[in-house]
Amino acid sequence: MKLTVKPLKQKDAGRGLAAIDRQAMAEMELENGDYIIIKGDSGRTVARVWPGYPEDKGKGIVRIDGRLRKETGTGIDDTVTVEKADVQPATAVTVALPQNLRVRGNVGPMIRQNLSGQAVTQGQTVPVSFGLGPLSSMSGQQIPLKIAETEPSGTVVITDSTEVEISEQPAEQLSEETAEERETPDVTYEDIGGLDDELEQVREMIELPMRHPELFQQLGIEPPKGVLLHGPPGTGKTLMARAVANEIDAYFTDISGPEIMSKYYGESEEQLREVFDEASENSPAVIFIDEIDSIAPKRGETSGDVERRVVAQLLSLMDGLEERGQVIVIGATNRVDAIDPALRRGGRFDREIEVGVPDKEGRKEILQVHTRGMPLVDGIDLDQYAESTHGFVGADIAQLSKEAAMNALRRIRPELDLEEDEIDAETLEKLQVTEEDFKQAMKGIEPSALREVFVEVPDITWEDVGGLEDTKERLREAIQWPLEYPEVFDQMDMQAAKGVLMYGPPGTGKTLLAKAIANESQSNFISIKGPELLNKYVGESEKGVREVFEKARANAPTVVFFDEIDSIAGERGQHSGDSGVGERVVSQLLTELDGLEELEDVVVIATTNRPDLIDPALVRPGRLDRHIHVPVPDEEARRKILEVHTRNKPLADDVDLDDLARKTDSYVGADLEALAREASMAATREFIGSVDPEDVDDSVGNVRITAEHFDKALSEVSASVDESTRERYEQLEEQFGSREPDSPDEGTVSRTFQ
Amino acid sequence: MRVKEELEQRGIEVVSREYGDHRELIADFGPTEDISVDVVGDTVIVVTEDETYDVEVDGSAQAFIKNGILTIELNEEGQA
Repeated sequence: MKLTVKPLKQKDAGRGLAAIDRQAMAEMELENGDYIIIKGDSGRTVARVWPGYPEDKGKGIVRIDGRLRKETGTGIDDTVTVEKADVQPATAVTVALPQNLRVRGNVGPMIRQNLSGQAVTQGQTVPVSFGLGPLSSMSGQQIPLKIAETEPSGTVVITDSTEVEISEQPAEQLSEETAEERETPDVTYEDIGGLDDELEQVREMIELPMRHPELFQQLGIEPPKGVLLHGPPGTGKTLMARAVANEIDAYFTDISGPEIMSKYYGESEEQLREVFDEASENSPAVIFIDEIDSIAPKRGETSGDVERRVVAQLLSLMDGLEERGQVIVIGATNRVDAIDPALRRGGRFDREIEVGVPDKEGRKEILQVHTRGMPLVDGIDLDQYAESTHGFVGADIAQLSKEAAMNALRRIRPELDLEEDEIDAETLEKLQVTEEDFKQAMKGIEPSALREVFVEVPDITWEDVGGLEDTKERLREAIQWPLEYPEVFDQMDMQAAKGVLMYGPPGTGKTLLAKAIANESQSNFISIKGPELLNKYVGESEKGVREVFEKARANAPTVVFFDEIDSIAGERGQHSGDSGVGERVVSQLLTELDGLEELEDVVVIATTNRPDLIDPALVRPGRLDRHIHVPVPDEEARRKILEVHTRNKPLADDVDLDDLARKTDSYVGADLEALAREASMAATREFIGSVDPEDVDDSVGNVRITAEHFDKALSEVSASVDESTRERYEQLEEQFGSREPDSPDEGTVSRTFQ
Repeated sequence: MRVKEELEQRGIEVVSREYGDHRELIADFGPTEDISVDVVGDTVIVVTEDETYDVEVDGSAQAFIKNGILTIELNEEGQA
């Protein structure tokens, strides 16, 4: 029966499955799991039947992955013949291993165990997972075995009693002998996760005109000539170009910017011409220009003469007088605005496709791709990792799975004898990647798009914040809720708060709260220390603000944290000494917070000791619309703060925290922390002074911090806030309350005004 | 949906397909795995080399395994 080939979903790829739609299955009398033979133009392969996707119903579609497509010599949308396989048990098979595989011992039984139950046919390449395998650079980390001979011939199934022999010739030589060249494909569409829409666009632009130019003739239009892929580094632009070139079986050539540059006059242009000539001779062809911004910068802005000529040459090659024929140019860049505008028009790069940072679904697909050939222990929940990797691009996720695998490798390292040429086959089989390996790897990897500004998400939870219950609740409402329950906000037609301003006397825990919220909200966290944005060049300081928000948008959900915001957002119209930098930074902040561009899933938290100094436009609703006063703690709050700071300290029984809380009026969080530290220091001093250095280890368990130590500490640490400061903040609080017309005064219940 | 979730909780990736009158749950254990399946009353028992899974279904069920692919056909009364 003839069926049309389509790609398989990422999660089903690499297992030799062919998803066939129900109707076709019924016609061929197939059941799930049956072996079928798929015959293409230049090859055939065996696959197991998998239920078709619901959207394919009745369309006559067979979905197979890149490996099977390569073996059958077909591409997407080609037609193949599918029939039920008559499978016989094999008495013997001969397999050829790749030349560079170095495994010691008799691998025959292991291969048999690996392949047992699988149907193979002569000339087929079967991936076998030997643990991680020494060929870790191979895609999928599996070892391709070639079936050299089977007994009986035809399609056979390997059973436990099949004799497995290893061919003398390595697999590479064998493929030269068999006339058809069938190598394992480099990159297939299934190796790209989370970019389905983008891939579809690229295919439409490239594959269609190459396979069926007549379609375009019929329509009377010129087929597309070029596609420009742009997006942050590591999102898969190069991979996509490679996959397309691989799948359509076109001649593929690439230009890397610096390579064509030559010191001789005119030679750089000549090299460009040569590449295009070569491509059109071998058409249909794809020319891939990676990092195109390096060879085609804006002509007005470059200083070099060479660059200008190279750009001009490229322009004329792409859309010149001469017909280019079936040559398509794919350009990739992460700085799309740096490219000469003349390239970015129809006829040259007809379409620009943005390859963005993947979302949760995309990340899951990418994880599936990278862990496909990895021996994972059962129960690893990829969903969970997809969820907790905001801002990760494909390259970061690849790195994550690689690190996890490296951790697994480290575990068996002691058993490896590096002196030996080959690695014991049994050891290889023991390799397994565990949950712990992934957790360890997560710690070491941060999203690359955020590298410059990324702060490791602090390890502080709500538990570590003593007291401040009210404030915590408000913060949670403002920041955590919109991210966690977007549907509720949708239903209520409510906009999430854009920003939160926390103010209060020094040491009351504003920064601590921000750290806790960053941790608890499971978002990316960008921390800006005001003064570091300032730059001596005109315009650079504002640019800094813009860049921060750009990064925040690209990596949403993000919490942007401005510590001591009064340093960069002072009231405008006050200073004249700094040539207006401060004012321009404020203006930039204002437009970023509530400008034409929407801030989606980006929350700004700012802290200050001096809310009265901040530009009033910044604290109006729609910008930093929630004002939270972080007050000097009262007695109950002090008791909770003390609890937090003495949680892991060995306290003597006579220490009464309630009493301490009573005695520490006007102490703020930082003071209480200092108090606890002083008290333990006093105890330590006493202990070390009284014990023989040799006995320290034995008696350290008996040390206790007593009430006496706390009394001593009390006399050393004094309150940092006095009555007048407190009064000032109370006034400020009132002022901030009255500034907003619609703020309901809830009296003592809430110190927050919205 | 219960059966699917129950299997997925135990680490088996299951796909579900609706076919008019009945629903099928399909899982791939790989062609090399030695597994068997049995339906006793309203319980489907899957035995793999090192583990046994049993899930209860509402209504009647049929199950078979072919080359490592498990298919459970559910004829549900009402919605499970």
